[in-house]
Amino acid sequence: MVNVMKGVLVECDPAMKQFLLHLDEKLALGRKFIIQDLDESHLFISTDIVEVLQARVDDLMDRISFPLHDKDA
Amino acid sequence: MEPEQAASTETESGIDLLVIVLDTNPSQHIVRQNPQNLTQILEAVIAFGNAHLMQKAQNKLAVISCAHHATNFLYPQPRRQVELRQIDGQYEAFSLVEKTVKQQLGSILMNAPRLGSPCESLLAGSMAMALCYISRLQRNVAAGVKMHSRILVLTGSNECSSQYMTFMNVFFTAQKLGITIDTCALDKTLSLLQQGCDITTGQFLKVTQLDGLLQYLLWVFLPAPQMRHKLVLPPPPKVDYRASCFCHRELIDIGYVCSVCLSVFCKYSPICTTCHTIFKTPGPLPVKGKKKKKDKQM
Amino acid sequence: MAMADTKSGRYASAGSSNSVVPLVQGPANLECKDFQEYLRTRQTAETLEKLYNYPPICLAVFRELPELARQFIIRILFVDQPVPQAVVTSWGAQRFAKEQTEATSCLSDLNVWRVTAIPGGLSAWELSPTFKKSVRQVLLGGGKPWPMTNTLEKDSKPRDIAFLDSYAMSRWRCVLHYMVGTGNRNGTDAEAISPDAVRILLHANLMKRDERDGITITRQGFQFLLLDTRAQVWHFMLQYLDTCEERGVSLPECLSMLFQLSFSTLGRDYSSEGMNSQMLSFLQHLREFGLVFQRKRKEGRFYPTRLALNVTSKEAATTMTVSDEEAMQDSGYIVVETNYRVYAYTDSPLQVAVLGLFTELLYRFPNLVVGVLTRDSVRQALRGGITAEQIVSYLQQYAHPNMKLVESAIQSKSCLPPTVVDQIKLWEMERNRFTYTEGVVYNQFLSQNDFVTLRDYAQSIHVLVWQNERTRTMVVQKHGHDDVKRYWKKYSKGGG
Repeated sequence: MVNVMKGVLVECDPAMKQFLLHLDEKLALGRKFIIQDLDESHLFISTDIVEVLQARVDDLMDRISFPLHDKDA
Repeated sequence: MEPEQAASTETESGIDLLVIVLDTNPSQHIVRQNPQNLTQILEAVIAFGNAHLMQKAQNKLAVISCAHHATNFLYPQPRRQVELRQIDGQYEAFSLVEKTVKQQLGSILMNAPRLGSPCESLLAGSMAMALCYISRLQRNVAAGVKMHSRILVLTGSNECSSQYMTFMNVFFTAQKLGITIDTCALDKTLSLLQQGCDITTGQFLKVTQLDGLLQYLLWVFLPAPQMRHKLVLPPPPKVDYRASCFCHRELIDIGYVCSVCLSVFCKYSPICTTCHTIFKTPGPLPVKGKKKKKDKQM
Repeated sequence: MAMADTKSGRYASAGSSNSVVPLVQGPANLECKDFQEYLRTRQTAETLEKLYNYPPICLAVFRELPELARQFIIRILFVDQPVPQAVVTSWGAQRFAKEQTEATSCLSDLNVWRVTAIPGGLSAWELSPTFKKSVRQVLLGGGKPWPMTNTLEKDSKPRDIAFLDSYAMSRWRCVLHYMVGTGNRNGTDAEAISPDAVRILLHANLMKRDERDGITITRQGFQFLLLDTRAQVWHFMLQYLDTCEERGVSLPECLSMLFQLSFSTLGRDYSSEGMNSQMLSFLQHLREFGLVFQRKRKEGRFYPTRLALNVTSKEAATTMTVSDEEAMQDSGYIVVETNYRVYAYTDSPLQVAVLGLFTELLYRFPNLVVGVLTRDSVRQALRGGITAEQIVSYLQQYAHPNMKLVESAIQSKSCLPPTVVDQIKLWEMERNRFTYTEGVVYNQFLSQNDFVTLRDYAQSIHVLVWQNERTRTMVVQKHGHDDVKRYWKKYSKGGG
């Protein structure tokens, strides 16, 4: 029988996909959320995790960006 | 489709300047035949100019009259403020064009010196004036704004090969500046103007029936050069690229060319009249074995 | 994009191509319609026909048409019989068939021409007679003159263009000041705007009424502030026209008057004689917003200002000469440096407030405000619905003249430092790393045939989002799941 699962299709660049796989593996969001790895730039994840995920990604972006200027200069 | 879409939005937002050079010489064959023809041509030109202005708010128009004695601007006339209110439903900008052109042309024709015998129109000079106008406007355009210019020559004159050099200078300048030259010939096929249209990727059209003049103008010459490839227009005719000699102004097939200034002559002369280079007289042709080199030595 | 070996990839389903139903519903953004969109969405064929009785409206519609469409119209304008569709198709070059179809469908949507049959059975295009008559009148003459151009006695105290420009900008800025709340709150400078104007701002969702705070600016209002003046005026006028019908004012007359102003000559006075009371009150509104100047209410003459001219077209704005452009808006006052610092030589609270939307303000002096573009400040603006493009164009629009003097090796149209521009755009792209589509995944098909059948069905009803033939996996939009499930049941029962 055909397997049917409800969720959310996520499209992103390969680098971000690796980040998501990392979060999933480390159970960083509390549980595993990836339902299926579709291809290099697509993932299928559970619906309820989306907002938390966006917050984590924003957090990551905040951490990896450095101020481009010195305010006091 | 991306680069084409970008290109088409760019053309949509640029200014299109059209300069019409109208041959108003009374000694043209069609005018001598019936003076009413000039009025008919003028009406068609005004309607055509207004149709051009109607396309986009930022389009510009200029009309130059070319006669046998002088070239004058018919429109725009910034110094003469015509207080214009609409008298009928015509848009006031279009009425302004119509009134100005007619008034100016009327006064030019009234004050023109009498013609003793048929004279040539100063077409090349008028086109040069058009180029100067375009160049001035180009300088005053704001930064980042694109302006595309073209010249439409409307004439019923014959071939003026005496103006050959001026024509060539005008054509090459226009080509360098990216200005398209279109020609609408009302009487004969003009090979010099054909060459000009060819170099500047313009359209050359010969219209013999004056009744349909406006229709021809609107169909063939109204689309801007940047978008002409999107429409099906008359194919360019085969152009006669013969040069005319500098001594007699006659079109020649074979001739002599000065190696210094590239002037063309039909007969050999010991000194080039343009750059005053002295040439060696051609001696007997040297016979080198079987191969006979037939040089035209200069 | 698609892998070379497997037939897989994302499908742009009809529904999702324009508006991917966002998973996380964002708040609404400012939607600016141009004149064509406005006509297409708000007017029916009958109302359009009524509008075409007014030559100024026809001229405006004509100028809004795509290039090819304009050429076609000019060609048909002087032809009295309907023109066979095949003939019109032959006018365009083959390679540009797509553009030609767009042009013809635009003309049909606007009811400028319609399909009719000619003897012989061929289908032909026929110009709407009212449209044809109006355009011919505008171009060649005949018919009645436009109402505003009745002859007037010479004005004893004529106004010159410089006065009209400063008048227009000061009136328009009153509206903007009110929006930012820097006007009558302090009670210092700007006069309050009329209740009618407030009503329009509320209707347009640029401001909202709150029990606690009174009337405050909305998210769309902030986006509105960043538009250039011409776009602001046009959007505002569209909202005004929307409220016309509920106030019982005739929309065609309003539009006609608006376009008469749009095509008028700057610096010339026009007559308000013969206008009915509705149009006179419309004129008073225009006077309040700065589109016309009138010395006294009862005076029979008025001067259109630059704000009213060419009100629909963005392009006409950009092609004005240098002097026109400076008069049109405040001459530039913002300097953007390559270290992300922003210096604004202004003391206007409105301009400072707008700048504060996307920069972090550091210092304020009597004539100068210093701020810096930081990731946080730009992200805050982005969260508020402002786009990177809007920020960049605002900075470009109000760039200080000295910025344009800088000799740059790269001949670019923009005088802003390219690093800063790129960084703002990158900060915006950072927020868009993911696209989410709610859906349902199907996999583990027993046979290739099953997969292909179901996939093709899903695609035919435009709900297929992604598929991979090799792994026999497909994703369908959430709302399409029921249809696909029903089809699958039918198919598997039928012994597929």
